[in-house]
Amino acid sequence: MKVYFIIAYRNILQRRVRSLMLAASIVFVSVIFSLLLALVHGVQQTMIANGTALMTGHLNIAGFYKVSQSSANPMVTKYPELMKYAKENIPEADIIIDRVKAYGKLISETDSTMIPMWGVNMDQEKNVLGRLEVEISKDPNNPADLSKLSESGTLALFEVHAKKLKVGVGDMVTVSLPTYRNMTNTKDVKVVAILKDVGMMSQFNAYLNAKDVRELYQNKQDSTGQIMVYLKKLSDLPKVEARMRKEIAEKGYTLMEKESSPFWMKFDRVAGESWTGQKIDITTWEDETSFLKWIVSLLGALTFILTIVLSIIIVMGLINTLWMSVKERTTEIGTLRAIGMQKNKVLWMFLLESLILSVSSTLAGLVLATIICQVLNAAAIPIESDAFKMFLMTNNLSFTFGLAQALMTFFSLVIFFTLGSLIPAFQAAKLSPITAINQS
Amino acid sequence: MQPIHLENVQKNYFLDKVQVSALKGINLKIDAGEFTVIAGPSGSGKTTILNLIGCVDTASSGKVVVGGKETGSLTEKQLTDLRLHTIGFIFQSFNLIPVLNVIDNVEFPLLLQNKQSPKERRDQVMRFIDRVGLTQYAQHRPSELSGGQRQRVAIARALVTKPQIVLADEPTANLDSVTGQNIIDLMKEINATEKTTFLFSTHDHSIMNQARRIIRLLDGRIQE
Repeated sequence: MKVYFIIAYRNILQRRVRSLMLAASIVFVSVIFSLLLALVHGVQQTMIANGTALMTGHLNIAGFYKVSQSSANPMVTKYPELMKYAKENIPEADIIIDRVKAYGKLISETDSTMIPMWGVNMDQEKNVLGRLEVEISKDPNNPADLSKLSESGTLALFEVHAKKLKVGVGDMVTVSLPTYRNMTNTKDVKVVAILKDVGMMSQFNAYLNAKDVRELYQNKQDSTGQIMVYLKKLSDLPKVEARMRKEIAEKGYTLMEKESSPFWMKFDRVAGESWTGQKIDITTWEDETSFLKWIVSLLGALTFILTIVLSIIIVMGLINTLWMSVKERTTEIGTLRAIGMQKNKVLWMFLLESLILSVSSTLAGLVLATIICQVLNAAAIPIESDAFKMFLMTNNLSFTFGLAQALMTFFSLVIFFTLGSLIPAFQAAKLSPITAINQS
Repeated sequence: MQPIHLENVQKNYFLDKVQVSALKGINLKIDAGEFTVIAGPSGSGKTTILNLIGCVDTASSGKVVVGGKETGSLTEKQLTDLRLHTIGFIFQSFNLIPVLNVIDNVEFPLLLQNKQSPKERRDQVMRFIDRVGLTQYAQHRPSELSGGQRQRVAIARALVTKPQIVLADEPTANLDSVTGQNIIDLMKEINATEKTTFLFSTHDHSIMNQARRIIRLLDGRIQE
C-alpha cells in the first residue's frame, strides 16, 4: 500500500503544474458547492427559526371545530385539558404555549389589509415571539415594547404591513374580524411594536392579545387556536409526534388524518366534510411551513445543477490529466504488468492518484469554505433587494456550514471525481505488458 | 524438469492486412541453470520467442511450457502470477519506475508477492543491491544513475524474487562495450552461484561468444 501511495504521490509532484491546476479547480468547486449548501442550510435554519417563532411550534395540537356541516373553525375547544396533557406527558418539550387563530382586516386612517393574525399570551411568549427583532420606534414618546401585548387593545405587526397602513408605534388601528356566525366585530387597538421583516413569512402574521381575539370571535376562554410544543431536541419530533397521536386518540379525541399542509389550506376540505364538533389535528412545523418548501427545494436544485455542471467540467479535466498520465507512463505500466502486477493493482494505482488529488483538494476547499462562511456571517451582509429578502426569508445573508454539509460536500465530490477517474484507470489496467517490451 | 519447453510453436500476426509469420515451428528445450543466448538479425524472431516464454504474448499454435506450466491453458491472472513467481525480466531500456529510488524499485516485485515480513524483504533487497554493487546508491532515483547502474538495478529487481528463469531482451544494447561486458559478467556470476536459468537475446558477437549455448534464429526458424 505504502509503495502505491509513494508512486501516486510522486507522480502528482512530478507533474506539478498540471496537478496544481487540477487541484485548484477541485478546490474551487468544493468551495462553491460548500457555500451553496451553507446558504441553502442557512435559509432552512432561518425558516425553522422564523417559522417556529411566527406561526408554528415544532409540534402543534390544533384542529377544527364545526358548528354546522359547512363550517370550518380552526380552533381547539376545552384546551386546558390538552394543555395539561402536554405539560405532564411530553418530557421532551422545552416550551409549551397556546395561540388563538384569527383572520381579518386591519384598518388604518389611510389603508387596510386582510391578514392572518394570532392572539398571544405574552406570559408564555418570552422565548418564542420574544426572539424576533423589534424596530426602534421613531416616536420617543412611544417606545416599541412587545411585552405590552399582554395588555388588552394592543397590536404588533411587521414592517411590511406598517408601511402599507402608514402607521408607527402608538398609532391606532381598527381590527375587524368576521365571526363564525357571519357577524363582523371590530376593536380599536394600539400599535405597541413593529417587528423587523423576516422575508415572506412577515406577510402572513400579526399579533394581538389572546383575550381580545376570543372576545372579537365571541369564543369561550377555554378555547384556543392551537397548542404549540417546542422540543429540546428537534430529532425527537417523529417519536413524540407518534406518541402524541396515540395518547390523544386514547383519551377519546377524534384525530384528523395526517396531511402535510398548513391549517389554512385545509379549510375547503374540512368545510366539505359532513362531521360536526371537534377534531384534533396533530401537525409539525414542516406541515405548517410546507407552502415555503419550494424555496428550499429550488435553492437545492440550483445548487445541484450548478455543482453538477462545474463538477463535469472538472471531471473532464481530471480524466484528461489521468489520460495524459497513462499515455506518458505506458512503458511503466507495461513493465509493472510484465513483472507481475495484476490489472486490479494498476487500476488501484491510478485511482489512488485521483483520490489523493480529490481528497486533499476537497478538504482544502472545505477549510476555505468554512473560513469564508465565518467571515461572511461576521460581516452580516444585508440583503438590499426586497425580492431576495422575501425569497431568502432573512434580512442578512446567513451561511450555516456544519458537519453534515461538510460531509455531503466531501463524499459527493470525492465519489464523483473517483468515478470519473475510473475511465482512464481502466484504460491503464487494460494495457498489455507486451507494450512495455515493444516500447523498450 | 526443464524450465522452458517449446514444441512446434508458430506465431503469426497481422501487419495492416498482411499476415506475417514471426515464428515457424520452433522446438526448443532449455535446461535449468543454462546460460543461453538467442542470436539473430533484426526481425528473426528473438523478441517474439522471449515474449512467448515471458508469458506476455501467446502462440498462434504449438505448446509453450514455462516452469512446468503450459501457458496456453492459463488465464490472464494465472499468467501474471507465473511471471511474478517464476520469471525475472531485464529490459533493453531498463524500465525502472522513475519516481521510486533503487531500494523501492528492487523491492517492488517482493511487495507484489507479499510473502515476506517487511524486515525479511528489506534484508533481501539490500543483499541484492549489494550483489550488484549499488549499496551506496540505494537511495538514488533512476534519473540520478548511469545507464550501467540502471541496468544493475534492473538485474537486482529481476533476481530479487529468486525466479527460475531470467529473460533479458538485448540487455546491453543501450550500454557502452565496457559497461555491457560488466553486466554480462554479473549475469554469468549470478547464473553460476544461484543456478538461475538465463535466456537473453543479442546481436553483439562479442557477447554472444560468452554464452554456453547459442540459439541462432533466422526468419523465424532455429538454425543451430
